[in-house]
Amino acid sequence: MARVSISDGAAAGIVLAGGRSSRMGEPKAALEWHGSTLLHRTAALLGRTVDGPVVVVRAPGQELPALPAGVEVVEDPVEGLGPMQGIATGLATVAARAPIAFVCSTDMPFLHPAFVQRVLRVLADLDPAVDVVLPVARGFPQPLAAGYRTALAELVAKLVADGQLRPAMLFKQCRVARPDDAELLTDAPLARLDPDLDSLVNVNAPEDYAAARRRPAPQITVQRYGALASGGHHGPQAVRAGTLAAAAAATGLVLDRHVVAALNGDQISRDPALPLVAGDVVAFLSADAGG
Amino acid sequence: MTAGGYFGRALIVDVTGRAATGTPLDLDERVRRAYLGGVGLGTWLLHRLAPAGADPLAPAAPLAFVFSPLVGTPLTTSAKFAVVAKSPLTGLLTDALASSQFAISGKLTGHDAIVIRGRADELSVVLVDSDGVRLEPAPELAGLPAAEAETTARERFGRGWRTAAIGPAGERQVRYATISHDGRHAGRGGLGAVLGAKNIKAVLVRAGTKVAVADQAGVLAAARDLRGRSFGPATAKYRELGTLANLLAFNAVSTLPTRNFTAATFEAAPRLAAEELHEMRGVARNSCASCSIGCEHIYSRKGGGSQRMEYENVFALGPLCGVSDPDDVFAASARCDELGIDTISAGGTIAWAMECVERGLIDAPWLRFGDGAALLRALDAIGAREPGLGELLAQGSRHAAAVVGHDSIDFAPQVKGLELPGYEPRSLQAMALGLAVNSRGADHNRSGAYEADLSGELDRLAGGAAHVAAAIGTEDRAAVMDSMILCKFLRGVFTEPFDEWAALLAAVTGWDVDAAELRAVARRIVLAKRVFNLREGATAADDRLPARMLSTPLALGSGRVAALTAERLQSMVDGYYAARGLDAAGRPRPADLAGLLIDG
Ligand code: SF4
Repeated sequence: MARVSISDGAAAGIVLAGGRSSRMGEPKAALEWHGSTLLHRTAALLGRTVDGPVVVVRAPGQELPALPAGVEVVEDPVEGLGPMQGIATGLATVAARAPIAFVCSTDMPFLHPAFVQRVLRVLADLDPAVDVVLPVARGFPQPLAAGYRTALAELVAKLVADGQLRPAMLFKQCRVARPDDAELLTDAPLARLDPDLDSLVNVNAPEDYAAARRRPAPQITVQRYGALASGGHHGPQAVRAGTLAAAAAATGLVLDRHVVAALNGDQISRDPALPLVAGDVVAFLSADAGG
Repeated sequence: MTAGGYFGRALIVDVTGRAATGTPLDLDERVRRAYLGGVGLGTWLLHRLAPAGADPLAPAAPLAFVFSPLVGTPLTTSAKFAVVAKSPLTGLLTDALASSQFAISGKLTGHDAIVIRGRADELSVVLVDSDGVRLEPAPELAGLPAAEAETTARERFGRGWRTAAIGPAGERQVRYATISHDGRHAGRGGLGAVLGAKNIKAVLVRAGTKVAVADQAGVLAAARDLRGRSFGPATAKYRELGTLANLLAFNAVSTLPTRNFTAATFEAAPRLAAEELHEMRGVARNSCASCSIGCEHIYSRKGGGSQRMEYENVFALGPLCGVSDPDDVFAASARCDELGIDTISAGGTIAWAMECVERGLIDAPWLRFGDGAALLRALDAIGAREPGLGELLAQGSRHAAAVVGHDSIDFAPQVKGLELPGYEPRSLQAMALGLAVNSRGADHNRSGAYEADLSGELDRLAGGAAHVAAAIGTEDRAAVMDSMILCKFLRGVFTEPFDEWAALLAAVTGWDVDAAELRAVARRIVLAKRVFNLREGATAADDRLPARMLSTPLALGSGRVAALTAERLQSMVDGYYAARGLDAAGRPRPADLAGLLIDG
């Protein structure tokens, strides 16, 4: 899966972790899903998808579960002002380093990089006068699975300062593209990898979470190479795994210092918590490949 | 005899005319401790013995066979030596390693190095043992492949002799001719042409003495320990499949150079893969002398015979030339061995020529990517230096591009004149730096920075400061391993390499050497090589990659684009210079030269 960057700079990823989780009754960020927490998974998925910074925005003093290496954490200055505050903080944090950002919440266990890329590509390819790509899919506008120009940071902050705390107020003041399900799914990789746009499923209540947990881990393909393929382990193998460690275990390997994995022929990792999504291809190589 | 591991002298053999003379050169402890042996000591010897600016193929140019303190000990993979000279391909320092009984017998002539200079009146062999040196005319060896020359010479002089021989390409001074020993090759940089220019078909050595070690029990214990570790997971790849295991893995991560570096994946890679060949064709494993790993994998050829295959020869004669039939690649490898030419430079130069043909720059319509018969025909033309194409390609891709012109240098796959090994620099950007700055030219053995790219610890598509540090680290480790000498395929068994290597050297030599001293040795060797090249006219402009790598992004199999711009590479080169204490032009500070011990 290609990582997203655009010609005049990188794309950023912003995860809003500061919601109250009141219907869930416990912090959503720390909920476990197939081997990692929802927050770790979301942040790491953005990390493997965008070229620019990945930022988690939390409420003042909010405790977070462990995060992937390289992910930055920033704090909302004020608690309880909702997503607009988080969007303002997140966009301001990355504005100098990336012209566009994908903004999402922490409770989307099925978020797929193909969806993130689809949204960011729409934004990157559009006339620069368009400020936001707001999917209107699965029946609703999705401001927390949307692409924003980071130059909006000041406007969003001003709206928050004026007490305009609903994203709809922002969308009134800037130019918004609103792709629907059908338009989003004209993208072949997205149509193949997330045909029902499950990327947009979020877990708000315990029953949502229970349903999400009942769904199996993503179906991926693993292949062992070189000495790791000895003993009849040649060729691709379909397994279900939500993390790199689970993928290794599914093919009978342990991610020790002698093994690395290449994700979709691209990023090389030995991070056991690296999240995997449907359609991923994981190549396990000897760590001493080369020579 | 000096303290353990050394004899404390080199033998300078002059083969001018019809007789050889041997003159000892003292190697005092300061020099030995500063440069160890192998590549390091060879670099020092070249500083001392090579006239500045001399043509590499001139009689005065020295060619040094350099042993190491570990040769002759029971330490696994230690039967190695370096061959060091000024390269006819690059005009700069080149050093190739090989392992064979030649290392042990050569050292046990009572010398830490044997240096050949001069030019014999007729094709000859030079014999060195503890009784002295002699030159013998050997017209019967003319035109023979190195392996046959070795057999014939040992029949004539006796089986106690070990040989290093050149093939017909070396006799004809093809600029990337090899020197071979026991079927292994000192492969890169055209050392065979240097020996050929001296009219020397083979060097024969015979053991006649013993070498002491300082701590016999310590060395034996270390040898047992190292041997045990050499059977562990860190060497599994080499034991089970050999280096050819890289091919499919590199294809999976878009770093298998294909069709003269126009792609980084090869659709027919599975046909050439070790995994496939191992099941269908695997016949035997073999190893260098004194090695418990045994990474050589030998495959059967259709129609009879067998061939040792390594990743580098399959990459260069397969994907790089677009050739997918394993039997064509086997045949081309065998032809390179018979002629005595470096497979990487041969494949790289022919792949460049295939692209020139596609672009209408060379008139040889038969020479097409993917055509195995054309590949063999080109190899034969090179080996014979046939007028026209053979003569052109026998010069290597850089010299040939200068003749062909039309910006064909932009896609000649070389750095400093040495053709690139099978590591795509755009998708391995720590390696890109290593390939650019290394003294030998584009080389994966003196700079193994791909390790960092493939470790997952840095983004291999976004070269920066971390890549600089990684490239320096691997270059330093290689400098020590290539000088003490241990096989690099053993590198994964060391967890604290400099400490462990210092302990091995201490046991052999009796020195109180520690990791810090060895790190300084590594830096000294790297610097000494650079200083030699500066002396021979190298400039910062030589620390570059071909223009294609910097101007044409590469689409990876994943869809991500690998772009290595000139600015990014330059910023890494600048970082490398700064970290190595060099100025902006890649030159050392005068104060740093004193530590090289090269003034008289
Ligand atoms: S590992 Fe391979 S190259 Fe190294 S010494 Fe052993 S057989 Fe030779």
